[in-house]
Amino acid sequence: MSGHDSKYFSTTKKGEIPELKEELNSQYKDKRKDAVKKVIAAMTVGKDVSSLFTDVVNCMQTENLELKKLVYLYLINYAKSQPDLAILAVNTFVKDSQDPNPLIRALAVRTMGCIRVDKITEYLCDPLQRCLKDDDPYVRKTAAICVAKLYDINAELVEDRGFLDALKDLISDNNPMVVANAVAALAEIQETSSRPIFEITSSTLTKLLTALNECTEWGQVFILDALSKYKATDAREAENIVERVTPRLQHANCAVVLSAVKMILLQMELITSTDVVRNLCKKMAPPLVTLLSAEPEIQYVALRNINLIVQKRPTILAHEIKVFFCKYNDPIYVKMEKLEIMIKLASDRNIDQVLLEFKEYATEVDVDFVRKAVRAIGRCAIKLERAAERCISVLLELIKIKVNYVVQEAIIVIKDIFRRYPNTYESIIATLCESLDTLDEPEAKASMIWIIGEYAERIDNADELLESFLESFPEEPPQVQLQLLTATVKLFLKKPTEGPQQMIQVVLNNATVETDNPDLRDRAYIYWRLLSTDPEAAKDVVLAEKPVISDDSNQLEPSLLDELLANIATLSSVYHKPPDAFVTRVKTVSRTEEEDYPDASEGGYSESPAHTANIGASSPATTSNAQSAAARQPAAAPAPVPDLLDLMGMDNNSAIVPTDRPASPAGPPLPVLLPAPTGQGLQISAQLIRRDGQIFYSMLFENNSQIPLDGFMIQFNKNTFGLAAGGPLQVPQLQPGSSASTLLPMVLFQNISPGPPSTVLQVAVKNSQQPVWYFNDKLPLNVLFSEDGRMERSTFLETWKSLPDSNEVSRDFPAIVINSVEATLDQLAAFNMFFIAKRKHSNQDVLYLSAKIPRGIPFLIELTAAIGVPGLKCALKTPNPEFAPLFFEAVETLLKS
Amino acid sequence: MISQFFVLSQRGDNIVFRDYRGDVQKGSAEIFFRKVKFWKEDGKEEAPPVFNLDGVNYFHVKVVGLLFVATTRINLSPSLALELLQRIARVIKDYLGLLSEESLRKNFVLVYELLDEVIDFGYVQTTSTEVLKSYVFNEPIVVDAARMPPLGPAALFMQGNKRMPGTAVTKSVVAHEPGGRKREEIFVDIIEKISVTFSSSGYVLTSEIDGTIQMKSYLTGNPEIRLALNDDYTLEEVGYQVMVPPDGEFPVMNYRITQEFKPPFSINALIEEAGSLKAEVILKIRAEFPSSITANTILVEMPLPTCTTRVNFDMEHGIAGQTADFKESQRRLEWNLKKIVGGSEHTLRAKLNFSQEFHGNITKEAGPVSMTFTIPMYNPSRLQVKYLQIAKKTKSSNPYRWVRYVTQANSYVARI
Repeated sequence: MSGHDSKYFSTTKKGEIPELKEELNSQYKDKRKDAVKKVIAAMTVGKDVSSLFTDVVNCMQTENLELKKLVYLYLINYAKSQPDLAILAVNTFVKDSQDPNPLIRALAVRTMGCIRVDKITEYLCDPLQRCLKDDDPYVRKTAAICVAKLYDINAELVEDRGFLDALKDLISDNNPMVVANAVAALAEIQETSSRPIFEITSSTLTKLLTALNECTEWGQVFILDALSKYKATDAREAENIVERVTPRLQHANCAVVLSAVKMILLQMELITSTDVVRNLCKKMAPPLVTLLSAEPEIQYVALRNINLIVQKRPTILAHEIKVFFCKYNDPIYVKMEKLEIMIKLASDRNIDQVLLEFKEYATEVDVDFVRKAVRAIGRCAIKLERAAERCISVLLELIKIKVNYVVQEAIIVIKDIFRRYPNTYESIIATLCESLDTLDEPEAKASMIWIIGEYAERIDNADELLESFLESFPEEPPQVQLQLLTATVKLFLKKPTEGPQQMIQVVLNNATVETDNPDLRDRAYIYWRLLSTDPEAAKDVVLAEKPVISDDSNQLEPSLLDELLANIATLSSVYHKPPDAFVTRVKTVSRTEEEDYPDASEGGYSESPAHTANIGASSPATTSNAQSAAARQPAAAPAPVPDLLDLMGMDNNSAIVPTDRPASPAGPPLPVLLPAPTGQGLQISAQLIRRDGQIFYSMLFENNSQIPLDGFMIQFNKNTFGLAAGGPLQVPQLQPGSSASTLLPMVLFQNISPGPPSTVLQVAVKNSQQPVWYFNDKLPLNVLFSEDGRMERSTFLETWKSLPDSNEVSRDFPAIVINSVEATLDQLAAFNMFFIAKRKHSNQDVLYLSAKIPRGIPFLIELTAAIGVPGLKCALKTPNPEFAPLFFEAVETLLKS
Repeated sequence: MISQFFVLSQRGDNIVFRDYRGDVQKGSAEIFFRKVKFWKEDGKEEAPPVFNLDGVNYFHVKVVGLLFVATTRINLSPSLALELLQRIARVIKDYLGLLSEESLRKNFVLVYELLDEVIDFGYVQTTSTEVLKSYVFNEPIVVDAARMPPLGPAALFMQGNKRMPGTAVTKSVVAHEPGGRKREEIFVDIIEKISVTFSSSGYVLTSEIDGTIQMKSYLTGNPEIRLALNDDYTLEEVGYQVMVPPDGEFPVMNYRITQEFKPPFSINALIEEAGSLKAEVILKIRAEFPSSITANTILVEMPLPTCTTRVNFDMEHGIAGQTADFKESQRRLEWNLKKIVGGSEHTLRAKLNFSQEFHGNITKEAGPVSMTFTIPMYNPSRLQVKYLQIAKKTKSSNPYRWVRYVTQANSYVARI
């Protein structure tokens, strides 16, 4: 062939399509080939050449592979839009799949699988059947992938035609390429199916470990990833697996290395011999270090993974800190990750070296990097008590350079150091005060003010310093205002002289009357009342000893860390998020026997709780906001919670409710907790609900008294989960005969009551006209079930196995009837109880679900029932079985209705 | 598995686009490019190689100014995706000889054919040029090498040193030469990237060699090769290696040395205040290698205090191709030298003018000094190829054998 492909991009005057048509029908082979190339060129730049379909397909019957491939490329592109014409190609496909040339056979079956047209799919089955048993491994490996393609189009067909079994047979194929593709295809099919299709037994394990040695590097990754789902039965088997996998650590392909590391880490959990574990740790260090010599992109992935690994097993890289020193020309994303790991590996032994590095980084050009380096010094000070003094002297040196952002960052970390080591390093305060004028960032300002307030008695001119800040009080951001308020109170309590007294009046006035920030106002009122009623108590409260803080450099929660470690060498380990948090694979086809998970997409989270809380002010504008928030909720999750819009409908506001509302059933009215006769005409109905990942107290106030009511406030007594109001109660003045509803955002872990878990929630509501009303509500456990409660099948199994039987509690509900599994699962999914698996046990269905309550406590649930027959058995396994009674109560309420 | 693969030019033009699964929207290339270009508002910070945007995960690597990108919706192995992108670039280069926007455009049919064999339904099948040869039928159209910017480590040899047939390595592994006969030859390249950090007093704080032995074979018949390295060498598992080199470029061995070695350049940097609003910088570099060797394309850089407004340079006379510049926007001094002969020493003096007076320590606001350079026929590890034997004689009785060494600065930094 001569000339350039790019010449195919040029066009002639005559009109491109007719000319191409003519050339495609030329009697000369070369001319036809050139014409097809021109067509493809036009296609890749986005021109519509679909009108040439018939002419191109006519060129398909050729022995010339180059031409044939071009035609196939065209077909894949246009078959979807021209399904009827695509049928024309079927005959040639079927013929090609029996061609003596294996390349043509493979090409035919590969291409047919890419054409997602139903009619073609039917014709694909016979050729696929043959090709799966072809003599040539190239054809077999192509056919293996083709099964996955077909499954994606029509899962039923794959199962009916027995392709799954054929695929499983290929695991024992003598060609490692074929084995690798079969494993990849089966793993994909398993991902999308709820039934066990590809379960690795000890005999498949042996086969795959053998194939591992002969596979291409990519095949090794497929196999290692599939094997990582295998759970060894005991320590001996785990050791065996590790022994077979360890040689992969030497591989030049970093994907193989990381997948091998993952596999070894997983098996190490089971290995009991400390010698073996120590030895493995030693073996893993060099390959991990080698990854840092790869391209920066790979280094980034390696560093994110190493970050997790050193949190779990710090010894692996304890002696390798030098390889994490930043190079001058590292991209910023690599430098940031290296810093993070340096902090994690910093120890009394290497801290001097590390500090020398940090100090150097703190004078580089990139501002973000410099800030992080300064903060790193502070974190080391907090982490390593014996090195704290050295860290501080480095920080002081940096402050003296007087680079603005360095100074501010240093002050922020020094505040933390003071908290960590109270009464130790205050001698440096004078130096800090020199930089006072240059502070312009809220966090730095707030930190400095905190320091002044905390050590007011040792700073001679503390009052002057604070006063200088007070001038700009109204303009300061809330963070700074809060600190100013507290610092002034501290100053006053420590030096109750005239100056501070005047200051405190200014501040309290500013913070109560002049502000509309509820946090600031509440805090100011509390101080005010404390100071005016009992100054000694004020001292006890405001100047109380603070709990010691600790280093936050191991910030991942153990349960999350374990989940991420099980996902080493996947995106999850780079994002440091569990897979559920970001995997949103679109399922293009609906499958039989498949549960549609309510899509736990994160879209709904964008609505800030504060925003939602405003709904109470029932102006049409906010209502339409609420409307759109409701519309964003997944349709699969009908919310039986009372719909605020309906409540307002009762107020004859139904005109603002559009008719195309999502079809959520009108929920039951809120339970009345304070009946009007008890409340001197005030009736309060309320219920805890969960919306968009946030707990709200949905409340309705009805004023049946003769007087207007206003100044509503609410308080919650100590309770099991420390639920408390997350903001002020926003209820407008209620005229006699009117009502108002509100969504009060709630926060957890504020005032936790000791003792066994209980659902009792005691509430107090007051207003300016009436006495305080107390009433009891119930805390349904299901409002605590979080959106991230879905467990991987394998994790579920592992967790179930790892928990002792004593953690399993069960209860029978003789009155509950399950009429439809699907409806029940939908109903439970709406409350964040996630379906894991289902099996049949004689005439009963057994459902497995997972849920999670805050602080990461998982609930593993087994429901057993016969469809349509009263009686449900519910078993619960959890590390915290004390919550079981609450759980059963919630299940009963949810399923009874 | 991956959903899409595409190659974008520096301007964001779509050069190659292949969709394997149809589960990611077609406009992903544009979405990706906009995200990467404006990663941070100031446009300065580089996007990490892996990120998630609206449920789509994007992986990318930069090769000769082109962006190689893959997308997926599943929890894929990111190292697999990134390594694959590098390999695809290498395979395409093997086929086309040169990797560039122009060569990709001229060979789009071949590139699509390759991509269909490399990936099926998002699963990597093979990235071996050797294996691909049996399945790929389009002939590459060679782009004129002289006009193209060089690529990769092999391109290092194209500068300076006349003994090396530099352009030969930019020829396609599969293309037939004019006249129908392929020249039988094999290249063994020993490429060492060195990182050195000097303390302010001139001591070596950290030093490291990232080495690779790379081979590129144009031999027909895939004969067996024996490669022996000098045995006084302390690397583990290095003795001699017997192998059958596949067609195309492939790394024989990667090595990493952290033992001390003699850095090729010593750097002496001084910054001193010279009266109010003035300072003087003296940079001295000394080539610590034999005079038979010449380093080329040397660049010395040094960040200056932010209040620097003007810089006057005082350069040595009689040195060709030497320039010095003050990059005002980045507050950086740049000193370029075309070449430096072993054993020689060069000095640059610069007078700085400031817009405001200094409070702190001037050395904290300037530096560190960093250097980039290339030194052909020199490698600090002293690893050597003792012999390169082609066991089975090929058609041509004596193929050309080229052994080349080169050292390149990775991170070469002196603190002040």
